[in-house]
Amino acid sequence: MINLKSLPPADNPAEALAAVVALRVMADKLEHSAVNAALEQGWSWSQIAEALGVSKQAAHKRLANLQPKTDS
Amino acid sequence: MFKTIRQRFRDMGTIKALCFEAEKLANADSQKEPGAEHFVLSALALPDGTARKAFLRIHADPDSFRAAIAQQYEDALQNVGIALSRDAEISGEATPIPTSKGPYKTQPSAQALMQTLTKGIMVKEKKADSTAPLLSAHVVLAATSAQYGVAARAFRAMGVDPAKLAEAATAEILAYRACL
Repeated sequence: MINLKSLPPADNPAEALAAVVALRVMADKLEHSAVNAALEQGWSWSQIAEALGVSKQAAHKRLANLQPKTDS
Repeated sequence: MFKTIRQRFRDMGTIKALCFEAEKLANADSQKEPGAEHFVLSALALPDGTARKAFLRIHADPDSFRAAIAQQYEDALQNVGIALSRDAEISGEATPIPTSKGPYKTQPSAQALMQTLTKGIMVKEKKADSTAPLLSAHVVLAATSAQYGVAARAFRAMGVDPAKLAEAATAEILAYRACL
């Protein structure tokens, strides 16, 4: 589990909020590259959605614009 | 009158180029919608060159703004105990995403920047001179008004005082206009 003690002190909200933004950006990037890799390996959208813990519709809506890299 | 209309069309072209490049930069960085930081990067690429000159006027390297964005992400994560290796840096190799086909959308930080630019700065400029062109330095000027967010943090990461940058942007706008 995430250790809440490692969170930044609440008395510095500017730093804490900047960290939230950075974490979101990092999570989005990780999600995009992981979904790309999964599509390249032939995963279905159902499998990707299950692994992400979201519905197939939600995964498709948010990530369907990703295109797996081709070797051509 | 004709000059004013012609300038309006030119400004629309500038805004189109600014938005298009900002979206392209965001997508290349695996982000769906551009934020204020992407608009600053986009402004630095506009042909009038006044945004770049504003940075240079205060002895800051405009080309280091992109690295400063990455730096502020690293700094923010470090504050919560996440150290990124150089290979895994947050704006390192990103998976580019295709440009959205729907209506043009931006992050709230970019919406605020455009609001400041079009409803604040440019309204004032056009009142003083209806033929005043929209310049890349105006975008920088609008970006310096934000106290928080990625762009503001990136300015700080590269040692730039937003107030000084705003002064430099204003000076470049005036210098450009004097040459017209």
